[in-house]
Amino acid sequence: MKRVSIAFTLVLFVLGCGTQNENLAKGKELIKSDKRRKEERAVREFKLALDQKTDNAEAHYLLGLYNSQEFYEPNTMDWEAASVTERGKHMFLAYQAEERKYLERLVFETLRDDDLDIQNAALDALERVYNQGDRKQLLSQLQKAIKSSDNRDRHNAHWVLGHLGKDDPNTIVPILVKLLEHRRTETRLNAVKALGEAGSEAAIPALATLIESGAARSKRDREEPEVRQLAVEALGKIGGNAVPELVKIVENKGSSLRVDAIRTLAVLGDAKVVEPLLDALQEQSNRDVVVPLN
Amino acid sequence: MLQKIHRFDKRQCMVLILPVLALIVVAIGCDNQHYDERMQMRVQKLDSDLMNRWSTSGVVVTEITPNGPAAKAQLETGELISYVIAEYPIKTAGDFNDAMKKGLEEDNNLVLYLQDKPPLRIALRRQGDNVGFSVEGSGTVRVKAVVPGTPAANSNIQVGDIVEKIVDERKIYSLDDYKKTLAKLSKHQITFRTTELIGVKIAAVSALGDLGDVRAIEPLIDIFENSTELSLRKASISSLQRLVELSVLNDLFQQFQRANVNQLPADSLQPQHLEAAAILELLTVDRAENTATLAAPFGTQFRQRSEALYEKINEGQLAELVQEYIQITVEPEQEIRRACLTILGVLKPVSAIEALVAVLDNPAEIPGIRFQAGLTLSQIGEPAVDALIAAFESGDTGTKDIAASALGGIGGTKARDRLILALENTTEPAIQLTLVDAIAKIGDTPSMQALERQRAQYQADDDSGIRIFLDEVFKNLEHKSM
Repeated sequence: MKRVSIAFTLVLFVLGCGTQNENLAKGKELIKSDKRRKEERAVREFKLALDQKTDNAEAHYLLGLYNSQEFYEPNTMDWEAASVTERGKHMFLAYQAEERKYLERLVFETLRDDDLDIQNAALDALERVYNQGDRKQLLSQLQKAIKSSDNRDRHNAHWVLGHLGKDDPNTIVPILVKLLEHRRTETRLNAVKALGEAGSEAAIPALATLIESGAARSKRDREEPEVRQLAVEALGKIGGNAVPELVKIVENKGSSLRVDAIRTLAVLGDAKVVEPLLDALQEQSNRDVVVPLN
Repeated sequence: MLQKIHRFDKRQCMVLILPVLALIVVAIGCDNQHYDERMQMRVQKLDSDLMNRWSTSGVVVTEITPNGPAAKAQLETGELISYVIAEYPIKTAGDFNDAMKKGLEEDNNLVLYLQDKPPLRIALRRQGDNVGFSVEGSGTVRVKAVVPGTPAANSNIQVGDIVEKIVDERKIYSLDDYKKTLAKLSKHQITFRTTELIGVKIAAVSALGDLGDVRAIEPLIDIFENSTELSLRKASISSLQRLVELSVLNDLFQQFQRANVNQLPADSLQPQHLEAAAILELLTVDRAENTATLAAPFGTQFRQRSEALYEKINEGQLAELVQEYIQITVEPEQEIRRACLTILGVLKPVSAIEALVAVLDNPAEIPGIRFQAGLTLSQIGEPAVDALIAAFESGDTGTKDIAASALGGIGGTKARDRLILALENTTEPAIQLTLVDAIAKIGDTPSMQALERQRAQYQADDDSGIRIFLDEVFKNLEHKSM
């Protein structure tokens, strides 16, 4: 009797797994196929798979990836459930079920998707990881990505770090500032952009140093012009106390970034800028100055 | 044992190396600046990418000691020295040869001054290059011989020419270059040639247009009137144009300012102003929500500045100034004349009517600008009607065409009646079409009756351009009323 019940349970278990996997497998099969409305139909399967096992990581992930609001009438429940936030939530649930696998996937794969909604859902998921998951792991993956040799990874990592930095500059800004010393120009470039997007005034001194390095004697100490240009833009995005720093650039006549700084300031619209601009107009034009022999 | 000695050695080395390293670091750190004892001023290295981005090299003056030679020469801090120029007076043949030799120290530009002749640039590339002529004399140095087949022979150098001086222009590429050059020329009188980064001024001028601050107006006018750089003048007039366009939105911005808010119900604001402000990206209008929201940061900041700007621009000085510059004899650059016309169209000064008619009526002016003058007059409106009628009556076909269009744009009884009268008395096809178009634009009952009469008159004539055009006009009108 006992044996029979064990066998019965086993059969049920296998059946259970079978049906669950069946939906998932069917959905995945659909995605690969060239059937009409394959994604919409696959999403239905993924939902069924989740009905049977609520912590199925792959079904969550795939639902996050494919469930689009385009499939539904606006303002219905299904439509709401396909919002970027809801999709991000699914991606996060996938992460919770299998942390390592899905963290890497989100950072190095999902963010690369061409679909803006998917990128945003991945960002949403990663923000959830930052707040509720293994923050240390996440930051280490993002740093790996921003140091990557692949431009897409660097770009995506800067984007996520910029967003995280908006909410938690105390943690993110020092990480980005440290990345300004990285040997890869493109990594530094993305770190600068992320600092601009984070918009924290804590980044001002580091950006200012980088901008001023243009006149350093040794090439090794000079930051690349394009990175310095982006640093000016970043100061513009930070605004506030970055304005005096930008004014300083305008006033430094040896700086190659005066025009960039002026354009940035014009957009900020700060009245403090008017005086230094008027001063720039007063600068002596091309002329010959004779210094007599003593 | 061996290891111990090794370690000891290392440590000893470090003791020696560290201070040396520290010294080097300090030296490098300070090395982008240099205090010039002779000139008594401090100069600084430029950002190294200035050369690539703006084709500029040199050093920038950061500090001038009072009463020193630089101060006495009225050099200013912030000036960018890109050439150091020395003059070599030529009193003997030896002077000439020395000067040539000095000039050859670097790949430099020598400028030869012969009496009563324009300066000649001598390009010598290497030691041993032949100048192509020789000199003789003491006190007065003259050209002794010119070698045939050399550049000298092809230029205007002739035997007997008096050599006055040689000017050695040395381009400064770096701080080291500056130091070296000044050391070499320590016994000579020196001229600094400073460079202006035109890009910086243009950027500043454009930024001032965007900022909408009243303090910018006079400096911009000053540049517009006095600068010799065309690009800078163009930038300043377009900034002034922007400021004028901003100033006319004062009423709108004052509504926000008085309520001390950045958002107001869209239907509480004048639709035309609202549209203009939206085009300038100063605010966003949400019809569904019935909101008009000032765009941050500019829109919200401009709220506080708009009144002062409005008052300054309406003092009249600017309108008077641009009236002058719409004339081709005063301003050869058409882009600037166009900008001035645009400004007049916004300010609508009655005082400009005469000048505008002159532009409209000027056959030497390009048609596009004549037409814009007409448009400006129609923007001024009613007060311009008499002048336009006069121009229509006395002008050539081109003038008639533009004046009729402008009158149609203004409308009103007087303009309408004159246009109808003209249509009934003209047989010139080109003018007829313009008149029909202008009258249709006015579109009131007498206008439509006049057009009906014309249609009846040309009914029988199948090939008549005016009939086809009239049919078209009526078809469009019917279409509109449907």
